This record gives sequence, C-alpha cells and structure tokens, in this order.
Amino acid sequence: MWNRHSCLSWNRHSCLFLLLVLAWPGLSQSFSQRGFFESRFIGYPQTAPGDSGRAVASGLLRYEAAWKPLSNWRFAGSLDARTDTHRQVERAWGLSWQDRDIRRPAFAVRRLSATYRRGPVTFELGKQFIRWGKTDLLNPTDRFAPRDYLEVVDNDFLGVTAARLTLERGGDTLDLVFQPRFTPSRLPLLNQRWVALPDVPIRDAGAHYPGRAQYGARWNHIGSGFEYSFSFFDGFNHLPLLEPRVELTPLRVHLTRQYSRMRMYGADAALPLKWLTLKAETAWFTSSTPRADEYLLYVIQLERQSGEWFLVGGYAGEAVTAARRRFDFSPDRGLARAFLAHAGYTIDPHRSLALEAAVRHNGDGAWVRFEFSHALTARWRAIASFSLIRGAADDFFGQYRRNSHAALTFRYSF
Amino acid sequence: MSRLLFALALATLAAPAQDPRGIIEEVQKRSRSTSQRYEGTLRVINARGRVTGKRWRYDRLGSHGSSKAVLRFLDPAEVRGVALLVLNHPQRSSDQWMWTPALQRERRIAFQDRRTRFFGTDFSFEDLEERDVDQYDLRLDGQEALGGVPCWRIEARPKQSKVSQYDRSLLWVRKDHYVYWRIENYSRGSLLRRATYSDIENVQGIWTARTIQMADLRQDSRTLLKLEKLEYNLPLKDESFTLQALRVE
Repeated sequence: MWNRHSCLSWNRHSCLFLLLVLAWPGLSQSFSQRGFFESRFIGYPQTAPGDSGRAVASGLLRYEAAWKPLSNWRFAGSLDARTDTHRQVERAWGLSWQDRDIRRPAFAVRRLSATYRRGPVTFELGKQFIRWGKTDLLNPTDRFAPRDYLEVVDNDFLGVTAARLTLERGGDTLDLVFQPRFTPSRLPLLNQRWVALPDVPIRDAGAHYPGRAQYGARWNHIGSGFEYSFSFFDGFNHLPLLEPRVELTPLRVHLTRQYSRMRMYGADAALPLKWLTLKAETAWFTSSTPRADEYLLYVIQLERQSGEWFLVGGYAGEAVTAARRRFDFSPDRGLARAFLAHAGYTIDPHRSLALEAAVRHNGDGAWVRFEFSHALTARWRAIASFSLIRGAADDFFGQYRRNSHAALTFRYSF
Repeated sequence: MSRLLFALALATLAAPAQDPRGIIEEVQKRSRSTSQRYEGTLRVINARGRVTGKRWRYDRLGSHGSSKAVLRFLDPAEVRGVALLVLNHPQRSSDQWMWTPALQRERRIAFQDRRTRFFGTDFSFEDLEERDVDQYDLRLDGQEALGGVPCWRIEARPKQSKVSQYDRSLLWVRKDHYVYWRIENYSRGSLLRRATYSDIENVQGIWTARTIQMADLRQDSRTLLKLEKLEYNLPLKDESFTLQALRVE
C-alpha cells in the first residue's frame, strides 16, 4: 500500500528536469539559489507507551534554486536530503515526489514548478506550495497545505502537485487551483511516541487515497487600509479518518486511513486599527462521507508589533453542525476551542526570543513552546527550544503529555 | 535615494527659495525620476562593535506620494528572498506586505508596527516609506555649514492626521545641489535616529548620496548603506509591484 519508491517513470522525467533546472546556473544571470544544513537534537524527559527512546538526532539538507530564463518564465526547484536516528526517515535511497510515504523520505523533491507570468496573469504548474488565509495561529481556509505531522507540534508543510492560475486587477486577486493528485498529511508513526492509541499491537493497513482531483478558488480584495477574501474548496480532507479492524487471535488492530470528501466555504479578513490589527478567518466544512463531521472553524486574533515586540493573541473556535466521526487524526480541530498566543522579542540583530502557546478554553490541555535563537556568525545559527505539553488523556494536547521535550538546532545557511 | 529615508512627496508649487516648502519642493524636483533601482550593501554595527553584513535590491516605480517599491534581500543566506512591498498613497499611510519564502506567504504589516527595526538594521519600517508633504508642517529653522557644506535647516512636524513614530524631524538640505545632507528624527524631545549622507555623485543628472549612515541613538548602533548599481528611469513594469510579484519574482 505504501509507495516507498515513488520516483516512478514519469517522475524520472521530473527528476531529470529538476537536475537540468538546478544545473543551469552558468547559462543565465537570473539564477538564484540558497539552502541550509540543519542538525537537530531532541531530548524527551519521559518515555511514552510503545517508545522508550528519549533522544532523537536528525539532519536535513535543503537546497532551493530558481531560474528565470526569460522575463515571463520562472522555474523553481527544491530538494531535501535527510536522515535521523529514530527511523522517522526512510532508509531507502529513492527520490520521492509524491509525499505519500509514511516516513519522511531520505531524498525528496520538495518543490518543482514552472511559472508563467504576463501582465495580470500568473500560471504556476508543478509541485508547489499554496497558502491561503490571513491569520497566523491556525488557518482553516488553508486547504492546499498538507503537513508533515510526524512530530505533531513541530510540523512542516508539504508541497502539492497542482496548477494554479492567478488573475490580478487593481486590488482584486482571483486564485484558481486545480490539484489532480491528492497529497495527504503525514501522520505520526504508529510505533512511536506521537501516536496516542490503546496499548495493543497496531498494524498499519495502509490508506485509501482518493482518485478524484481537487479544486478551489479564492477572491481577495485589498481595500483602503483593509483586505478580505472569500474562498471555496472541493476535494478531500488531507487529514484522515482512521478505520480500525480488530483481529482477536492474536489481539491486533489493523488501522486503515480514509480521506473524507470535503467542501469548504471560507472567508478571511485583516483590518489594521490604530493600536491593533484585527485578523479573522473562518471556514465551514461539509462532507458527503457518512463518517465525516460537518463543522465550522473560526479564528479571531489581535496582533501588535511594538518596537522589538511582536504579540499575537486570539481564540480558535469550532461549531459542529453534523456530528458523525468516530476516530480520526485532526490537529487543526485539536487546536480549536483554545486560546492561542504567539509572542516574539528581538533582543538585537543576532538574538531573539519567541513563545507560542495554546490553552484549551476549559483548561483541559495546554501546549507552550519557548525558543531562543542566536546567530553565531553570518551563516551559523543556534536555536534552543522547549515544548511543554500538559492535559487530560482525552484532550488533544493532553494525549501528548509525555512528549514535552527540549530541542537544540544548529543551522548553516548558504 | 533620499526617498528611502525621508522622501517627502511634494506637489510642485512655485515658492521662493527661502521658503521651506519651496526648498523641499526643489529637492524633490531635482531628484524626481520615473523609477529607481539599486543594490544596497549594508553594514550593521551594534553597540559592542559587532558587524553584520546584509544586501538588498530596491526597485521603485513612480515618484513621490503614489509610488510603489519592492525591497528584496539578497544576503545573508538565511533571509535571502525575503521581500517587502510598499504601496505609497498620497493621502494616507502606505500599505506594506512582507513575503517570507520559508512560510510561502505574505503578511500584511499594520501601520502601528512601523517603528520596528527593519530586519535588524537601524532603519525602521517607517523610514522605508514615502510621505506626503501635505501631512507635515515645515519651518525654516536656520542655516549652517555642515562639514563645510552650506545647508538650510528645516523643521518638519507631522500634522495631526499623520501617524508617525516621530513628532519632529530636522532636515539639512545642501544649498549647492538641493540634496539632503542630514536628517534627525525626534520623539518626545529625544533624538531617535540620525541619517547622515555622503559620497554625493551625479547619476544620470540626479545628485545622489551614495552612502547613508543611519544611527539609532537609543541602541547605540548604526547601519551604513552603500548604493551600488544605481540606475534611474528604468523601464520597470507595474506588474512587478504586486503581491503576486512578491511570490513569483
């Protein structure tokens, strides 16, 4: 079921194309590149059911390049190479395009796209990142942005293979997206600490990926000192419903992932006021899948940047309009019904502090992350962080209460 | 380049040379161009003498109150690609968005945020926007030789409708070429930032200071900005100054 070696024949052409793009700098002045190598060490004070490991080390090399051979054309590519000590990274050497692997691939095409731009029209085709929404803490309308949730609270976005047409006229922008191939979010590994399931042997029984394409549209208007947008999405939730099948002898649970149909009606707005900026985002999700809930997510946040301080505070709420689900993995809804905050302070050009927090409105769960970042030289940066997770066992945060951790990251940028 | 720091977007009205408004209008008239591009090389020197290098490319289309500008970082590597879009409006504060490649999204920056230092330099966000002369009261404060160069000293105070971190600015304008030679920005009687101009050159008929030092007096730090590859009146396209352009350029 798992497509571990996803550099298929079609993708070989993609890989060749990527190599051509990345190897072309000598022919053009309009070539730019950047990247970093990052090594990260995580320490967990507590063990977790099914995972006695307390220390994890990982390394990531990311290379990004962009080439603009003509004024209207731009090609962009990005490659990841990574490894780790905790088997979260695939040991096979295949180059992954699809991001459907349960582990992080050792080598992955993170982005590979061609963009044509002429006047008010922009067309991008290929693997790319599409971000919708205006709030910072949670983006309900961000439907083309699956994530890697292997470590639930430290997640990263995955690119999607799509065609994106954007039309701009004055302060109005119309964004049309067609995604022919579904990209799911990557879930925590079943035999590791970020899965909070009953203490019985669980076997991954694979996934049923949707065959149908997804599409969406977003209209954004920039007015005199404010902006707002409306969005629509028709496709599938990139977060799965989990379908368990119990085998009694021996006792074992087979878990299948299914991705429910989803239709989204969304809106977001930003309104700068004299002292604060008000940002809001909401989306109503309907589904024709019998086991999937229908619900509304909303985020209201206030932000202010004052001198070297950056402060964001808000509330993420949820209203279930049709309750059907039994068993799923949905960190976006896990963040709802909570007060959310983000604060940053720039000590000087080389050092900064940050704090992120989510506290359940009834006090049942909380997650707080502190971070200190220090630029050691022009290229080297060290980041120390500590994540504290507390709560009841039936709370989204609380289920990870044994996963509080400290992390130290060294990054070399080039 | 003077626009980068304090480009008062002035309407062209005839005025006597000793009239502060007339002087500033002459500054604007002589520096007017349809577009501008340069690469800025920055050295940020903090209170302990530690030096950080940065480099950005600045593109501007239009002039004075209704111009558009994009500033894109070229170095250091960890901020390469970060870009700022500024849309100036003659009658209200500018709109600004920041594009961060790592997040793949733009973020609107609200006008109450603009006293924040711009990416660890001694320029604030407000220092990067143009301002409308109608939003300031100007007064000739005197004349003096600054570094041996005769200058007019003009006081500029924002009108009540103008949102600014500064309640008073002093502008030194060279009498020979009508260019800014020093700008001091005050808040509540304290000097916050001082911009000092040097290396004046005639570029395509426009007298331009090629080096600007911005000092943050509270932090005891300073940023030295050198303008390289400076060009005026390039055929820049309007479509390069949009949110889409931030994403795909």
